Amino acid sequence: MSPRKTSPSTPDPAPSTTQPAVRDAVIVGGNRIPFARAGSAYRTASNQEMFTAALEGLVARFGLQGERLGEVVGGAVLKHSRNFNLIRESVLGSSLDAATPAYDLQQACATGLEATIAVANKIRLGQQDSGVAGGTDTVSDAPIAVSEGLRRVLLEAQHAKTTQARLKAFAKLRPADLKPNPPVTDEPRTGLSMGEHQAITTAQWGITREAQDELALASHQNLAAAYEAGFFDDLVTPFRGLSRDNNLRTDSSLEKLAKLKPVYGKNLAGTEPSMTAGNSTPLTDGASTVLLASREWAAERSLPVLARFVDAETAAVDFVHGAEGLLMAPAYAVPRLLARNGLTLGDFDFVEIHEAFASTVLTILAAWEDDTFCRERLGLDAPLGKVDRSVLNVHGSSLAAGHPFAATGGRIVASTAKMLSQRAAETGKPARALISICAAGGLGATAILESA
Amino acid sequence: MSEETHARRTDHPGADENGRITVTMAEVPGLGGLYARGVAKPLLRHLPGRTSEGATVFGPGAASLLAPVSYRVAGVDTGDPALRERLAAYDRVVGEPASDVLPAGFVHVLAFPVATALMTRDDFPLPLLGMVHLANAVQVARPVVVGDVLEVRAWAQDLRPHRRGAQVDLVTAVRTDPADDAPAWRGVSTYLAKGVTLPGAPEPSEPHGGTAAPASDSSVEHPLPTGRWALDAATGRRYAAVSGDRNPIHLSALSARAFGFPRAITHGMYTASRALAGLARERGDAYDWTVSFARPVLLPGTVDVSVRPDGAAWVYEGWDARKGTPHFSGSVTPRG
Repeated sequence: MSPRKTSPSTPDPAPSTTQPAVRDAVIVGGNRIPFARAGSAYRTASNQEMFTAALEGLVARFGLQGERLGEVVGGAVLKHSRNFNLIRESVLGSSLDAATPAYDLQQACATGLEATIAVANKIRLGQQDSGVAGGTDTVSDAPIAVSEGLRRVLLEAQHAKTTQARLKAFAKLRPADLKPNPPVTDEPRTGLSMGEHQAITTAQWGITREAQDELALASHQNLAAAYEAGFFDDLVTPFRGLSRDNNLRTDSSLEKLAKLKPVYGKNLAGTEPSMTAGNSTPLTDGASTVLLASREWAAERSLPVLARFVDAETAAVDFVHGAEGLLMAPAYAVPRLLARNGLTLGDFDFVEIHEAFASTVLTILAAWEDDTFCRERLGLDAPLGKVDRSVLNVHGSSLAAGHPFAATGGRIVASTAKMLSQRAAETGKPARALISICAAGGLGATAILESA
Repeated sequence: MSEETHARRTDHPGADENGRITVTMAEVPGLGGLYARGVAKPLLRHLPGRTSEGATVFGPGAASLLAPVSYRVAGVDTGDPALRERLAAYDRVVGEPASDVLPAGFVHVLAFPVATALMTRDDFPLPLLGMVHLANAVQVARPVVVGDVLEVRAWAQDLRPHRRGAQVDLVTAVRTDPADDAPAWRGVSTYLAKGVTLPGAPEPSEPHGGTAAPASDSSVEHPLPTGRWALDAATGRRYAAVSGDRNPIHLSALSARAFGFPRAITHGMYTASRALAGLARERGDAYDWTVSFARPVLLPGTVDVSVRPDGAAWVYEGWDARKGTPHFSGSVTPRG
């Protein structure tokens, strides 16, 4: 922290005696339900059901029945308007003390990590001793909106004071207004889907099909190996007959991936499309939770402490005018986060970069190795550096597990905390991890965790 | 310097320094009536002659074919509640941020009917319907805000040859105070009348009514897109409702077919105004905004768009997302 500047006329006030020192926020553990491809096992499950299931599993895992926690924070990207208090309603449906407050938060795919940052910061400031962060999303049970025309007519009719005025409102209805609007993943300001945006970035960085397929295969192999090793035994609770993420392909191969047809960037002049269903994450349903606490709170309950939440940084980029790729914000957040903490990319035992698409990971890695990008865009003197592939997404990531938007942050934080705890136990030395999540709207959230 | 500086001094009928007589109208006319008049207008009855193919050929002195007249409407009250509603609807249709500042495209839809009225004069040498909007250039010197009372002047100038016929500029000048020297907003709309030959010009390179499709259309190299516009069949009807431009070529496939289009086409100014809206934050209060139109966008249709900085300006272009056919290109330049 830099020393505060003072002027002679306004002497530095004496430190307030009520100001608590910042303390550690630690990750006690996590729980999620297996992630399911859209339209499969969780076809009929709602966001509230899934989040409640994940939360209830966490309560059971750590014996929190009847506990009043500081707060439960989470959200969903695709949310029904009736779910205005989604997380609070989930708390009321769980066996936590009903006096546990909650709020909804939403930052597209970064929702889960942003919720973790929010909970950790309140703990660090001493405003609460414990909290749960998480998220849930379902594409299968997504809200379907009425058309803009019908919506305006309905609102006008609702506000009308006389029957005649109501009839007048309905008279404006046109047949086309009855067509429903299912949710889309298009960016509102550009009209391009996330995949099309990433296809442009992929072309700009010249990321090859082979490199994307290799990353996708590694994700499946790593996730499969982690399941085989029992890594997820205390991180995942079965739900609706599923005990593993059902997008996981244990029999995937480069040959099979190479056969898939490109689905994005097919009409970009002068470029070869390379993004397929195999190296892009599928639409997925699921929910995740993470339990955070102060060290004292965890010790009082004899709960484990996996990792310490060190710091976080968010960033955003202007993708609307093509200045930067839609999913490139983490490339900007991480250098700022590292600088503030006096760290380099080589200081991490684990690097977790959310695999929205294989090429998202690869373009971010390429950007950090690129001299021009690091000088001109990041204002650095030299490239940020290279991430050793042996520390990247070592237990698989979203390409294999799937990506229920708001649930991904909780999945990564809980898994990473456990990886750090295991590594520190193995080596007897502290371990450190970097987490990076890109999000719609040109957003990115990043964080540092350390073994506790 | 500019013609309109002189023209405004003509407060009463009488020739200005450019020899134009100001005709003051009580209000901005409706485009619907003007189109009806354009259809009914005895076709080019003032033209000196026609070729055997039906194309029109002017005799000597084409410039003098433009009547020396400018139209003027004063007291256009932008504080009118109905107009504010229309502004809000316009902002929604083209994607402008809600604001009390009138986007340049909205000033255009308010003022341009005055220029259209000029084109429906019996002595205007080109036919109103069937004319092709080639380009548009607007200079916003000062923002026009809700509550401003506008004076609109319009005249035609620079009747000149085009490889496919004859083109003419319709100039519209909008002042927020009639005493102002320079207009707050000035627009130049360039129209083409196909198949019309001006004196001294070569014959149009293609017959009247032909479609101008450069053979290399689809092989044009475009930059990587920054956006994609999925335009549904009602796009033309929505812009018609907020702009007042209910030219049948924009409204439905049926009405467009009557004018030789396979389907309805977007208003060119819709595409330009939407591109301008995308630069609402970048353009500032005063800016220059240009567009030139290539092939029309058939509805429904998908347009890939690129917007990028080019020096002090922002340039944009749109093309058919599938075929690559260019639709429009232009620029938005903040006035430093």
